[in-house]
Amino acid sequence: MLELFHREVSGSFYSWHGAAWVVAASFIFSLVAYLLLTDMELSLLDQGEMLFTLAEVIIALAIVMSAASASSIISSEIESGTFESLLLTPIAHRQIAIQKLLSVLVIWALLYAVSVPYLLVLASGTNLGPAAVFYVGLYGTILVIGVSLLSLVFSVKMKSSKNSIMTALMVVLILLAPSLFFATSLKKTEFGLALENVNPVSHAINSLDSVLVDNEKMIFQQVNHIWPIIGFTLVCTLVFMIFTKHFEVKGADQ
Amino acid sequence: MKIRNTGFKRAKTIDISDAFGIAYNETNTDNNITTSGLTKAYRNFKAVDSLTISVNPGDIFGFLGPNGAGKTTTIRMLCGLLLPTCGNAKVAGFDILKDNLKIRSVIGLLPESSGFYNWMNAEEYLLHFAGLYKIESLLARKRANDLLEKVGLAAKAFAPIGYYSRGMKQRLGLARALINNPKVIFLDEPTLGLDPKGQQDIQKILLDLNHEREVTIFLSSHALSEVSFLCNRVAIVNHGRLVAQGTIDDLRRLAMGSSSDIMLEIRILNSQPSQNELPNVLSQFEYKTSISHDNRFIIIAVAENSFESTNIIIEKFLKAGLCIYDIRRQDMSLEDVFFKLTEATARKNKNKANKKNGDYLDKQQDYGPRHQTNPSHFQTNGRKEEQQKQQKKIDTK
Repeated sequence: MLELFHREVSGSFYSWHGAAWVVAASFIFSLVAYLLLTDMELSLLDQGEMLFTLAEVIIALAIVMSAASASSIISSEIESGTFESLLLTPIAHRQIAIQKLLSVLVIWALLYAVSVPYLLVLASGTNLGPAAVFYVGLYGTILVIGVSLLSLVFSVKMKSSKNSIMTALMVVLILLAPSLFFATSLKKTEFGLALENVNPVSHAINSLDSVLVDNEKMIFQQVNHIWPIIGFTLVCTLVFMIFTKHFEVKGADQ
Repeated sequence: MKIRNTGFKRAKTIDISDAFGIAYNETNTDNNITTSGLTKAYRNFKAVDSLTISVNPGDIFGFLGPNGAGKTTTIRMLCGLLLPTCGNAKVAGFDILKDNLKIRSVIGLLPESSGFYNWMNAEEYLLHFAGLYKIESLLARKRANDLLEKVGLAAKAFAPIGYYSRGMKQRLGLARALINNPKVIFLDEPTLGLDPKGQQDIQKILLDLNHEREVTIFLSSHALSEVSFLCNRVAIVNHGRLVAQGTIDDLRRLAMGSSSDIMLEIRILNSQPSQNELPNVLSQFEYKTSISHDNRFIIIAVAENSFESTNIIIEKFLKAGLCIYDIRRQDMSLEDVFFKLTEATARKNKNKANKKNGDYLDKQQDYGPRHQTNPSHFQTNGRKEEQQKQQKKIDTK
């Protein structure tokens, strides 16, 4: 049933190179946590803001990694000529795409597992630990699913890893821009506000801000932020369903 | 051992009795392939144009054509990898449009160039595909080992595929195509890049499969000797269109232009006859001459396929004092047939294009000799007109 998923995961972790990103992610989390605790200015932040900063990094890293991975997962097989033999097996094409998607979600699961201890350590001495773990898990999972679905469609349609990765990363950049790169003044312009309203990542970041900094931990307090994120993922699911019904390989000699 | 397969509507039980000599025990036992007006069009051209062919169960069917003729596109449509623009086809009794999944469970394909998971070893690779076909693990292992033995990779079964040569990968590709014990196998240039021993091994495997299990084999190849050795029926395509199909003898007759013509290769004991001698002796026949590698004078004559014409030739030679050392019937090789038929369609297309451009050229004008044994290149002694008529017949076909 999940043969393809197993192969994909075992292929990803076949050698230590495949798991190198886990070490890199741990290093990034350690660095952020270290700076937050030891840097003169950053250490002046209250613990909620420190947690929020780390949560932002985790979400951003998760989105970038899942987009990069999903956008090359089918196109790389097309390029290496292995996809044709896969399409010949009696597995529905959408099922192939779903199993590939599951293998991308494993990356998020591992990243999340690595990040939890950092969240708990930074939250020690406050009651924010469980909320940080829950909301990072919730938003991370929904956003990663949405971004992965969309990136997988790029991978299917573009049939070129270079093009699909570039397109997926551009989309990720657009999603992350308002939260990470826009100055406060730009955020307050009409354009900035409109972009924030339709941007699922902005909603996730704003919700984490409200949970970890403003201490609004109850889920009903975050409904306004959760629905746009779910809506984004539903739209991505629809796009995925449309474009993964039937894959076509190129005709020969064309 | 019985494995439940919910993918089939008509019969849901697959009876797998052993690793190689098994057959799907379903009600649909057709191993045939039929296409009807199969077409694949891209923006500005048709890769396959109204292709109608039929492959009988148990056939080893050769699918020939020059590069870009639409062979691989046809195979991909038949395997469900490409959707046709119009027309339809059935493989093993299943419709390529409606029963795509069912087709994929009963066919095997060895593409012209396929990729491999280089980090796996051959056994893992076959087991992975067996898993995708939902073959029970113990049986899958046995079948994988048997196939590796059969394709000659048993000794290297545990080496990473990344270290394999092209020939070894081709053998592994064949093993993968057979892992589900297909009823129909599509092979696109299966022996390309293989050494002679490898070619021979693969041909033997294919013949065994066909004889022991009556697997229908659809073989696309440029190696015409291989096709003529393996295949009982052949189709020739050019520019996406069917040029001819039938047994090799059928195509030979079609290419010869007349079902009653044969070629006789006559070697004489005497040294080269004088200049006027042969035209007198073979006044009723078309012929050409050459010298063999053992310096014997050879005459190749086109005669009607009857005892009388052969006897007339022998009689005339004897009367002229020319002693026949050896006389034998010379069949047109598949290569000759291929070139003759594809050139005929190419010429037809060219003429059509010229007509469109208002620059009509005489059909015969650009028809240059290509092969020695092509009967239309023989010296003419009153039969040229008839040959031209026959040629036109081929053109219109």
